Amino acid sequence: MAQTTQRGMRCPKCGAQMNAHAQKLIVTANTREPGFDPQLGGFLEETNACPNCGNVEARRV
Amino acid sequence: MPDPRPLSIPVILGTARKGRMSAHAANLVLGELRKREGVVTELIDIATLQHCLDDNGQGTADPAWATCMTWADAIVIVAPEYNHAMPGLLKHVLDSCLKEYIHKAAGIVAVSAGPFGGTRVIESSLPVFRELGLVTIFWDLNVGSVGKVFDETGKLLDPAFVRRTDKFLGELIWMAKTLRHGRENVTLQ
Repeated sequence: MAQTTQRGMRCPKCGAQMNAHAQKLIVTANTREPGFDPQLGGFLEETNACPNCGNVEARRV
Repeated sequence: MPDPRPLSIPVILGTARKGRMSAHAANLVLGELRKREGVVTELIDIATLQHCLDDNGQGTADPAWATCMTWADAIVIVAPEYNHAMPGLLKHVLDSCLKEYIHKAAGIVAVSAGPFGGTRVIESSLPVFRELGLVTIFWDLNVGSVGKVFDETGKLLDPAFVRRTDKFLGELIWMAKTLRHGRENVTLQ
């Protein structure tokens, strides 16, 4: 059964609700990066997939 | 209910070396993939991509590469073994994207002139693929002593590789279907 998300993006290609299926930690020494989390040592990029057209998008969270 | 969209599984020829025998292995896999229903494929030759040589990392990709990886459900990476590792140019190309790979299946076709079947390039590549978010399968296609597997024109001399390729692709396609379902339907908690 599909699980819905409140976090997923709208697909910029087709407008469908995307699914947020991953978060990737981008480790950086630049503590001024937007979204920098000192406990993680970097920022998170959320990866979204579109179930309608298959597009992939990422955004910082 | 079956997904009406075909799986996109490009084959990556991971070397730009002159006289590369890996091209024959790539063409073998490409031909076997084309026999599969519900799969679309193409050969991506890294020698033909535009390479950014004054920068590195995410966002520096040739747009053609980034587009291909965006729509891919799985990738077959044909990697010769150069000094126990993948070619530097292949690593450079792989490093140019990130989000495009996450939770997608990857299968490795390892090519070597010697008898060990590229096992060392596989072992040294796995942590790279993992860090990129790719999900590697546990079938590999080991093409050792490649000069005995194909002749100079690319003709397959050892028919056992057809069955080996079939098993390799069966696992890759299973993983590609499973991960597509996961990417599109299962939300990270």
